[in-house]
Formats: sequence, C-alpha cells, structure tokens
Amino acid sequence: MAKTEVKSEITGAVWKILVKPGDVVGVDEAVIILESMKMEIPVLAIDGGKVTEILVKEGEAVNEGQTVAIVEV
Amino acid sequence: MSDSWRSETEEIHQRRRWADEHGGPEAVAAHHAAGRSTIRERISTLVDEGSFQEISALTGQGRYDSGKVQRVQPAPYIMGLARIDGRDVALGGEDFTIRGGASWGSERRKGGQGGFIEDLAFNYRIPLVNLIDGAGGSVASIKRRGHAVFPGVHGFERSVELLGIVPVASAVMGVAAGGPAGRAVLSHFSVMVKGTSQIFAAGPPVVERSMGIKLSREELGGAKIAVDGGGTIDNVAESEQEALEMVRRFLSFMPQNVWELPPRHACDDPVERGDEELLGIVPKHRRTPYNMRRVIELIVDRGSAFELQPTFGKSVITSLARLDGRPVGVIANNPMIYGGAMDHKAARKQIHFTELCDTFHIPIVFLVDQPGFMVGPQAEMAGTLREGMRAVYVGAKATVPIVTVVIRKCYGMAGMAACDKAGLNFKGAWPSAEIGNLPVEGGVRAAFRREIESAEDPAARQVEIEDELRALASPFRMAEAFAVEDMIDPRETRAYLCRVLAAAESRLKTTLGPKFQSGVRP
Repeated sequence: MAKTEVKSEITGAVWKILVKPGDVVGVDEAVIILESMKMEIPVLAIDGGKVTEILVKEGEAVNEGQTVAIVEV
Repeated sequence: MSDSWRSETEEIHQRRRWADEHGGPEAVAAHHAAGRSTIRERISTLVDEGSFQEISALTGQGRYDSGKVQRVQPAPYIMGLARIDGRDVALGGEDFTIRGGASWGSERRKGGQGGFIEDLAFNYRIPLVNLIDGAGGSVASIKRRGHAVFPGVHGFERSVELLGIVPVASAVMGVAAGGPAGRAVLSHFSVMVKGTSQIFAAGPPVVERSMGIKLSREELGGAKIAVDGGGTIDNVAESEQEALEMVRRFLSFMPQNVWELPPRHACDDPVERGDEELLGIVPKHRRTPYNMRRVIELIVDRGSAFELQPTFGKSVITSLARLDGRPVGVIANNPMIYGGAMDHKAARKQIHFTELCDTFHIPIVFLVDQPGFMVGPQAEMAGTLREGMRAVYVGAKATVPIVTVVIRKCYGMAGMAACDKAGLNFKGAWPSAEIGNLPVEGGVRAAFRREIESAEDPAARQVEIEDELRALASPFRMAEAFAVEDMIDPRETRAYLCRVLAAAESRLKTTLGPKFQSGVRP
C-alpha cells in the first residue's frame, strides 16, 4: 500500500474538513476546503484511496505545498 | 589514373559514416543505458521522415597516419535543415556521447549561442530548434588558448536578435549548465524531460564549493525546481518523445518568421458548436470555484489547446489554441488557485505569453475571472504590484487584437490588464460576470462607514448596502450603459470569438514584421 500526500496548492485557512480517517476518496475528490481570497477552494486527492490521516484542523492556516492529509492507495 | 572523382567522393561518404558513429559504440551504449537517445535519434523523432539535411557532418578531429586519414572524431554538435509538418526549420543539438557535448574549439561554432545554426535560422528566416544536452565551456580551454577570454566571446547577441525574428524552441534533453542553459532560456518555448534532464547556472560541484551545500543534479535543477519552482523552463515532459512532440506542437501555432501570419489549419469543429455544459459551468454560489481549463476546452477548436507553463504561476492559464483554425493565445484566470488573483509568478507568465503572441501576430482572448492582485505581506514582499503593473504595461503595448470575455470577476488593476485598453477595448460578459474597480464587499465599509455605524443594526445595514450595490454592478446594467460592449450567451462564446477574430485578421496583416519596443518596463 503506497501512501500519498494530499497537498495544498495555495495558502489559506481550513474552512471545512470533508472526510475523516477511514473514509474512501476518489481521484480528484475534495478532501478539505480552504478559504483563500474570499473563495472556497477545494484541496483534491490526486490518487483515490483510504484516508489514513488528516493533518490540519478547521480554522488552521495552511501554506502552499503543505500536506493536509494522507491517503493510502 | 582514374578520370573521375569517384574515390574522393567516396571519402565524403566514408567521413559521413564516421560522423554517424557518434562517440563510438561504447559511449552510445552508455548513453542508451541511461535511458537517453542520441542526438541523431532525437532529430529523426522530431522531424518529418527523411527531411534532415545535415550540414557539416565532416567537421571533427581527424587522426592521420602517413598523411592518410584513419578516422575523424565528429564535433560534438550535430545540425542542419529539416522539415517539421512540412515547414523548414534550422535545428541542432549537442552530442553527449562525444566529450559530454562540451563546446568544441573550432573557429566558427556549429551550434550554441553565436553558432552557424543561429545564423542559418536568422538569415533564412526560419524557426530554430535547440536540442540541448551539454555543459558549455570548460576551463581547460584557457590552457589550450594560453589566455583567458572575456565572458561572451561567443555571445548571446544573435540569440537575443532571433527572439524578435523567428520562433525559437529549446528542448533540454540532458544536463544544461552555463552557455547551453542560457541558450535554453533565450527561447520562445522551452521544455525539459522529467528525471533525465536538469538545468542550472552552475552544477553541484560549483554549488558545493561556493556555498558548502551538497545537492544532486536533480535536487538542484530538476523539473521540480526549474519548471514548477523557478519557471526557468516552461514545460516538463514525461519522456524525450513527449518533449519533442511539444516542440512540434508549439511550432504548429507559429509563423515561419515575424513577416508572416501564423498558419491557419483546416478546422472540422463547427464554429457554431455551443456546448450546453457552458451554461452551468460557473457555479451560482460566488465563492465556489470551477474548472477554467474545461471552459477553454469547450470554447476553442476541439483538442487544439496547448498550455504553456502549466505548473508555474498557476493562478493564470496561458494556452495556445485555435478558433476556426486560426491560432489564438488564451489567457484565462484559474479560480482554483487564489481565486485567480494575480501574483508575481502569474504576472511574469502573462507578460511572457502576451509578448509571444504580440511578436508572432497571434490575437489574444482573455477569459477573465480576476479578483485583483494577490494581497498580503508575502505578496507585497514578492513585488506583486510591480510585476502586476508590468503586465498592465505589456498588455497596453501589445498591438495584436485582444478580445475580453468576462466569465466571472473582473476587478481592479489586474482586471485592467485583461483588456485591450490601447486598442478597440472590446469586452463581452457572461451573465455570471461581476465587474468593478474594486469588489463591493471590500469597499462598502469604508465608503459607507457613517451610514453603517449609525444604523440600528450595522451588520444588517452593511449587507443591505452590499446587495444594493451588487445589483447595480449587474452586467445587464453595464450592457445597457455600453460599459461592456456586449453580453454573450456562454454557449455562443465560440461562434462569437470566431466571427470577431476572422474580421480582426485584416488588422494583423498591417502589423507584420518585427515590432519596435521602446520605453522602460516598470
């Protein structure tokens, strides 16, 4: 089982976490939603699989390139 | 005595066969084992079959015995004329199997900056393709010459001149440092291969010695750094073959030189095609982003979009494409990245693309969803305002027709950079458009402070005023007032743009030739 990191492409604040560990996500499915530049911008899973970790909390600031979740493919 | 030149002529062919052997079977095998193709293989992958007319295959270092040539080690640069999609190009590249493609000390250079290949492209007014795989000069040349040379003895004058005359495409196929690295950047389009090519001003040994940092070639100048991070090279390919395919694709949009219009291709995609999907592609909820690449795909000729720098400055998408077969440059904001706001990288990318289109007479279509310049301390530190105003400046200097379609937001000075202010300033809006000097929510509190503070419920009053102003900012009201020239049914965008750009072709014909640039960019 390979682990892939779900990374944010932008700087923003975590607005909503859409999944929890154990959930299965598909390719390009939103894992969390960030608020940035007044937009609700989804962070997408590049590979589908089982979510093993969520590394951020709602309201937390996230940097460009930061890993927000781990998905086991 | 023979009465013909048969044996001498045979020697030409013998010498050509030696040239075909590159640096010898062992060097070629090692090169292949590293997952790389030879320069001759690269050329034959890129060009139309059988079209390569090599020039100067005989150049090299001969080994003689009693005055009779035994073998010639070819010069580590292979070049000539070829055709790509039936059109002539000048192309060449370093032969890594011969001394690592290091530059060779002939009086007149075959390739690289100031080489014959550049003169060929310049004098015949044909595109130049550089297949780069070399580290440039070596300090060993000092020993050979007996003296140092001034930087730029083989200068970039011609390389610079070419950028205003003919299309230049560079594929970095291996390691590029020094001169070849500079050469790659002085291009209209550049691509490198993931994992097997790297580019840097100076390689790991120099970095270790001068900075004490130990890095691999890939860590220092792999695609992640050079393409995604620095934007030094435009695109990354998964394989050598894909890199060469991108060069071919790029050239398909380009004229042979600036005195010609870009080539129109036959188009089997109906001009009137209007996808229903466009009707719902922009979400009604203003804060929800959408897929702008899909918007582009649905509007331009099917399959024609070729995105430049897709992994750099990602809040803007710059894509060559066709509308009714005519090349067009699409500049579209990407709401998925900072809501499409212009940061310093996006500005740099937009500037390069605008100049590319302007130089080669390719009209520009803006698909606008621009909330403004990126804000915040990091953005200010990165000089976003200066880079952004440079984008405004370069847009205002462009002489190609520019058509603006506002998809959603169009605000502020960055919004201004998306218009043909110095030209016709032709702007259409989708029903989802919201346009203004600055977004309503940002300005209401400042502009109506007294009224809001004296209200019984200040927060409610603020929302009321916002709603009131937003209704006035409706694109329908703007169209009534001719503040946008038209409103466009999203499904009709393709047909509308095709019609307008067909008419604009007459204008393009009046500005052929090199474009004079004056003034100081901010």
